[in-house]
Amino acid sequence: MRFLQELSLLFRAVFRRPDVEREMEAELAGHLECEVRQLIASGVPPAEARRRAAAGMGRIDSIKEECRDARGTAAWEQLRQDASFGARLLFKNRASPAVALATMALGIGSTTAVFSIVDTVLIRPLPFPRPDRLYWVRDIGVRGAFDTLQANSRLAEYAADTGVRAFNTAGRDWPERVKGSEVSANFFQTLGVRPLLGRGFAGGENRPGAARVAVLSYDYWTRRYGARRDAIGQRLPLDEVGYEIVGVMPAGFRYPAPEASFWVPMSLDPRDIGEYWGSGIAGFFARLHDGVTPEAAEAELRAWVTNIRPMFPWRMPDAWGVGAGLTELRESLVAGARTRGLLLFGVAGLVLLIAIVNVANLMIGQTAARQRELALRASLGATPGRLARQLLTEAVALAAAGGILGTALAFAQLAALKRLLPAATPRLAEVAIDGRVLAFAAAVSLGSGLLFGLLPAWRARTRQSLAALEGSRATSGGRAVRTDAALVVTEAAFATILLVGAGLLLRTFWSMLHVDPGFRPEAVVTAELSPGRSAAASAAKSAALYQQVRDRLAGYPGVTHAAAASSLPLTPEITAVATAIEDHPIPPQDPQLVLWTTEVTPDYLDALGVPLLRGRRFTAADRRGAPEVALISRATALHFWPGGDPVGKRLKPFSNDEWRTIVGVVDDVRSYSIAGPPGWISGEIYVPLAQPIWVPQTVSLAVRFRGDPGAFEKRLPGMIQEVCAACAVNRIAPLDAVVARAVETPRSTAWLVGGFALLALGLAAAGTYGVVNHGVVRRTRELGVRLALGAGRARLTALVLGATLRYTLVGAAIGLAVSWGLARSIRTLLFGVAAHDVVSFVVPPLVLIAMGVLASLLPVRRALRIDPAQALREG
Amino acid sequence: MSKPAALVQGTLYLLILKILELEPRTGWAISQRLRQMSNETLQASHGSLYPALHKLEHEGWIRGEWRESAGGRPSKFYSLTRAGRRQLQVEADNWARLSAAINGILESA
Repeated sequence: MRFLQELSLLFRAVFRRPDVEREMEAELAGHLECEVRQLIASGVPPAEARRRAAAGMGRIDSIKEECRDARGTAAWEQLRQDASFGARLLFKNRASPAVALATMALGIGSTTAVFSIVDTVLIRPLPFPRPDRLYWVRDIGVRGAFDTLQANSRLAEYAADTGVRAFNTAGRDWPERVKGSEVSANFFQTLGVRPLLGRGFAGGENRPGAARVAVLSYDYWTRRYGARRDAIGQRLPLDEVGYEIVGVMPAGFRYPAPEASFWVPMSLDPRDIGEYWGSGIAGFFARLHDGVTPEAAEAELRAWVTNIRPMFPWRMPDAWGVGAGLTELRESLVAGARTRGLLLFGVAGLVLLIAIVNVANLMIGQTAARQRELALRASLGATPGRLARQLLTEAVALAAAGGILGTALAFAQLAALKRLLPAATPRLAEVAIDGRVLAFAAAVSLGSGLLFGLLPAWRARTRQSLAALEGSRATSGGRAVRTDAALVVTEAAFATILLVGAGLLLRTFWSMLHVDPGFRPEAVVTAELSPGRSAAASAAKSAALYQQVRDRLAGYPGVTHAAAASSLPLTPEITAVATAIEDHPIPPQDPQLVLWTTEVTPDYLDALGVPLLRGRRFTAADRRGAPEVALISRATALHFWPGGDPVGKRLKPFSNDEWRTIVGVVDDVRSYSIAGPPGWISGEIYVPLAQPIWVPQTVSLAVRFRGDPGAFEKRLPGMIQEVCAACAVNRIAPLDAVVARAVETPRSTAWLVGGFALLALGLAAAGTYGVVNHGVVRRTRELGVRLALGAGRARLTALVLGATLRYTLVGAAIGLAVSWGLARSIRTLLFGVAAHDVVSFVVPPLVLIAMGVLASLLPVRRALRIDPAQALREG
Repeated sequence: MSKPAALVQGTLYLLILKILELEPRTGWAISQRLRQMSNETLQASHGSLYPALHKLEHEGWIRGEWRESAGGRPSKFYSLTRAGRRQLQVEADNWARLSAAINGILESA
């Protein structure tokens, strides 16, 4: 009952506000009239009666305000007033709110777009049920180990996959490559995802002799089978073998990688010793049973490692599996992207902070301009708290508008970001602006509004003196100067941090671009050639095939070399082989020497332009049956035979029976990555494709041209078809593009951070301009007096410029100090540049000085144009 | 100018409720009555009377109604609600106890 009454009063106060206000007015007017009538009746003259009655009433505004307070509806009422007042102000005073709005939109948009990425990539749980129960198994990725653990574990369900690899499948005109993953039979159940159509894999389907079955991804099913239900039961040809399609996974299921178009059972055959105990599996993960702690599961796992080690058909080093353990699955997927993601987020956050500082400054400027209005309201009975609340409401209203615009902007920025980010960024496909991201944007907007509204509001609390109403505009107060200084210093500091970061990353990118890759990438077209199972069945067959391909391509106009290799430089396929090297015996229990190995045709090194330093190249005579040979890189020669001649020395890959003779030394090539090989690679060798260590299932073609390749890329698949109908050709690209892809990640990081830094610099320049300009306006009278007293133009310029530069430099110094500390945390992203690189730390302050000077130019001009007489009169 | 102390404010509520006990009155009439009844000793400033009236209305102890006044123009008449009548009882008791206690102290000290 009480509540209903309250509600009706509140309803009246909020929604029927004009009624309530009118009644209040009428009531007070009625009172006044009665008072007047009584005074007249007691003999006071009407005019005097009116005056006395009005004086007796006091301040009507303040009574009304207190009545509203008494009704408990004041808060609502004031919010409405403030908001509508703020809106009116927005439209009245167009320029600066537009600037404020644009600034906020940029800040909020950038932060929101980056948050949507960081949220998906780093924070959000994996899109599986109970994702917190999924753990990655470190360090024991062998099929035999997996099989044993899965059969024996009582605390967890273990599953495995081989990562994605490409298979040949039937295409429209010629064979195509399609990527899929081989998985354990319990793969889907362990992840907790049911097929959309059909079934997953059944228990025995990993075992030898089981029927060949495949499950399709939603995307591949849609693209390839037109999303037809009768795809189930059809045959999917993979490497010349048919797999019966038994199921389709739901859209969005992209494990172990977004490129996976299908899944087939992984072979788990203990009799195939090489595969079962040798070749690895890429993904090995566990779903812990209910109530099992990760510690308990890890203890069980460790215990089993000790049991599994002696199961190997050969003696494993005691060190095998000592690093085995469980890591959260999500963690293991995104670990590599963490630093980069946090970096981007920090960068966008700094841009937002600069935007907030800018808007706070605009608001302060506006508050100062409204000093008279605020003072008037204060003298009419508005309390300081009430005024502060009004300013805060205006700020939040502005932030809300900025937030809406910023969110719209975020959609565009996200689209751009997704294009700029490396395609290999984990979970990039899942990134979207959703409820979480929108909630984040709303929270950021509100928070920014409070941040940039608090400063002027806090100042307003103490500033509404009657002096302002009387029109005093004396010299600027010490507090205003301090605020100005704080704003400029803050902006300069934030901008400096971003510039230093951008500098370091741009220099990283620059050094990567200027690393000599060791080969000449221009005028070379590359492609991946996959002959299919039967064509590459033996070394002899594949050697014959590559000879035919070579002959066909060499006939194309302009081709100088048509070569092939097991892998191209700067591509991520790892082709390292444990090798024994003459003169460098290693005890069997110690870590063996691992060499980067490439199988090449005789003219491959010439096609790439890798110079021969010593000895001879491979020739057609280095074929099967002839003595086995190898070439080594210069660094390898220097490492193993410093000062001596390696030609004639021998080495033996563990998987071969024969020793190979080193016949020459070639120059170093950045085979692994621009940054050089990882620490566990001891050297690099080349062997003839006709005498392979492993027969490669896929080779890369490298065709060098004299002049322009012309339409070669388009004609290539057709030409291959003429000699090999079962061959698939894909990844056709100029070698330059392969090199460019190798620096894609540092490039995107450098561009993104550089772009944000530029944005920040622009915002900081605009903000500094605003502060300086406002300072000059506020000090018009003071500057006028100085001019009148004979201060020269130079003195005046120095006055305005000096202060700006001082604040900018203080800010830059603070920024440099912070950057010095922060640089360490992005060390892993740097290459060819020290974390405390001199150039990256010297240029930003210079840029900021230039920015300070530029931002001061217009205000200085304004100061010089002050007419002393007028300034004094107006003051 | 309006809120010297809570005691006064509370007392004002009590007085308003008491004045309205007999018949509905307008704000002005309440202020006149207050002056009369207290032999011109008490005078609620308008700055505190109207907020007090709105507060009491908000609490549900009095109800405001627009009616023709004696002068022929519509005025807002306040009357006591049932809750207001109870509240008057409570406040009057409180006041009696309070004043008795204060008197006791003043006389014995």
